[in-house]
Amino acid sequence: MAERFYGPLRGRLEAGQPVILDGAIGTEILRRDVTWADHQNLSRPEVILALHADYVHAGADVLSTNTFQLSKRSLLSHFCDEAHMQRVGRPGLIDRPEASLRAAVALAVEARARAAGNRPVAIAGAITTLEWCFRPDLAPDDNAAMTEYVELIGILADAGCDLVLVETVNSVGEAVVAARAARQVGLPSWIAFVPDEEGRLFTGETMAQAAAALAAERPDAILLNCAPPLDCLVGLRELAPQSPVATGVYPHVGRFDPPEWMFTDEYPPAGYVVEAQRWRDLGATVLGGCCGTTPEHIAALARTFRPS
Amino acid sequence: MLYQRVRRRFGTAPILLDGPVGAEAVRRGIRWRKHGMLADSEAVARIHQDYLAAGADLLRTNTFGLNGRIYLNVFKNPAHMAHIGAPGLADLADRLLDRAVALAREARGRSGRDDVPIAGVISPLEHVFRPDRAPDYGAAREEHGRIADRLASGCDLLLLEAFGTDRETRAAVDAAADTHHPFWASFAVGESGDLLSGESLAVAARYAVERGAAALIATAAPLADVLRAHPVLARLGQPTGVAPLCGLFDPPSWKFEFHPQFAELPDPRAFAREVRAASNDTAIVGAWCGATPEHIAALRREVPSG
Repeated sequence: MAERFYGPLRGRLEAGQPVILDGAIGTEILRRDVTWADHQNLSRPEVILALHADYVHAGADVLSTNTFQLSKRSLLSHFCDEAHMQRVGRPGLIDRPEASLRAAVALAVEARARAAGNRPVAIAGAITTLEWCFRPDLAPDDNAAMTEYVELIGILADAGCDLVLVETVNSVGEAVVAARAARQVGLPSWIAFVPDEEGRLFTGETMAQAAAALAAERPDAILLNCAPPLDCLVGLRELAPQSPVATGVYPHVGRFDPPEWMFTDEYPPAGYVVEAQRWRDLGATVLGGCCGTTPEHIAALARTFRPS
Repeated sequence: MLYQRVRRRFGTAPILLDGPVGAEAVRRGIRWRKHGMLADSEAVARIHQDYLAAGADLLRTNTFGLNGRIYLNVFKNPAHMAHIGAPGLADLADRLLDRAVALAREARGRSGRDDVPIAGVISPLEHVFRPDRAPDYGAAREEHGRIADRLASGCDLLLLEAFGTDRETRAAVDAAADTHHPFWASFAVGESGDLLSGESLAVAARYAVERGAAALIATAAPLADVLRAHPVLARLGQPTGVAPLCGLFDPPSWKFEFHPQFAELPDPRAFAREVRAASNDTAIVGAWCGATPEHIAALRREVPSG
């Protein structure tokens, strides 16, 4: 089943033809005036379904699930430990992440069924670093990370994802573990790094180091995301010549205003396409959007770059 | 001075605390961002007023969990925050602290209750339920010092609320003591009745008393745990109180700072009776997160007014 949707896209990646990834999920939920205090997969499924469908209509080839940072570890991080969670937390909390992960995949699959017609649209299970995506200092050790990634990716695969998108990764070490876990589960993976202003990882590691370390784990693409367009461009200049696989870019636009997002008009869809042309010129094949981007940004990318 | 009125109450009638502002704001459907004090400040003032109408003897500022770390922690470092963050994040917490004091004072004025003292709340710098993330003494002393100075100028007393580690208790106590303002200390306790970190509650509370804490409270845990801790505090010779958790913590699936969402709230009347029956001899009575104005009103009916 996965190959039916993802196979044609993999062929395009290998041929260097553009593949359009969708845009923001979390900030798009906010823009639709719904809080992201919860992922809303169980409480407001109609909102999530509608935004996925909007991205399909916009021309996205890949839908990312509404599962960023959704894991057992995230919920446990609000308590001393599991015993404390059971003592002062709402019953059933420990089971909520898996229920929400499965519901999120089902919503993306349903949006594809409703909106894609015969067009091959793949569902990418979107996950990130196990601790906060901008804080490599908090990363768990490799053994703990491997166990958790296998469990997370296993759920996504079982729920119907065609690939896993590990995004906003801040270190080579965690990227390798996540890609290895995907390989163990048997799900194709894309690994997306967050670059700093100098085009390095947040650990100070280089894109060349990242590309070399990932070669053995065979992800299908190495991407850059969740940084301003110019930072991603700088990162791509470093990554593209070194990457053994397809590359791609999906930056954020606007400003992080925790716990929400500040939308700006710095990169309207037409201006975003101008930036994307620069990524294409450097060889990027996957083009999409991160926080702050909208279905209009993705529609502009699809109109400009997707092969007819 | 308003605080003297409260102090005179010790030994005559229990003092009833107000309820939580954040948890009540979330319960009312307010999006929990910037502690509700930018987009929903009128709603925050309304919650303060509702607690006064419920009969609270003291108003706490909406500053639990409010410090610069809650914004900085979600970036790599200050430079990254400046690079991709919204303008003004670096001093946002300071501005919100000032706003919280102003809103509490405004609510008190609107309610015609100028006799009610306002307690400036100082809380753990990291997530209240993560004592393992508490900063070291030096960093905590410096950060709590800045918060204490800011709150002291507009509040009648300081309330160090729900501290769960020895080192951060000491840092906050030293910061509060150095303001020369009256202060109370409350402790997040674990199942054993010690600090949530597992460290000795007696040691931390004794330090607070030695540095001038005028009252001690056990909090941030179910009633049974709070009651297990209370005798430890009662032995230290200062007025003491309890403020148990009310309902169950229901955090978001996103991993941000402490998000005050609580579920399965107990019936107010039953809760009030249970708390009062178990804490008949305490000088201070209250309820921690989850409690609503209805719970405080129910407690008011159980707790004699001064």
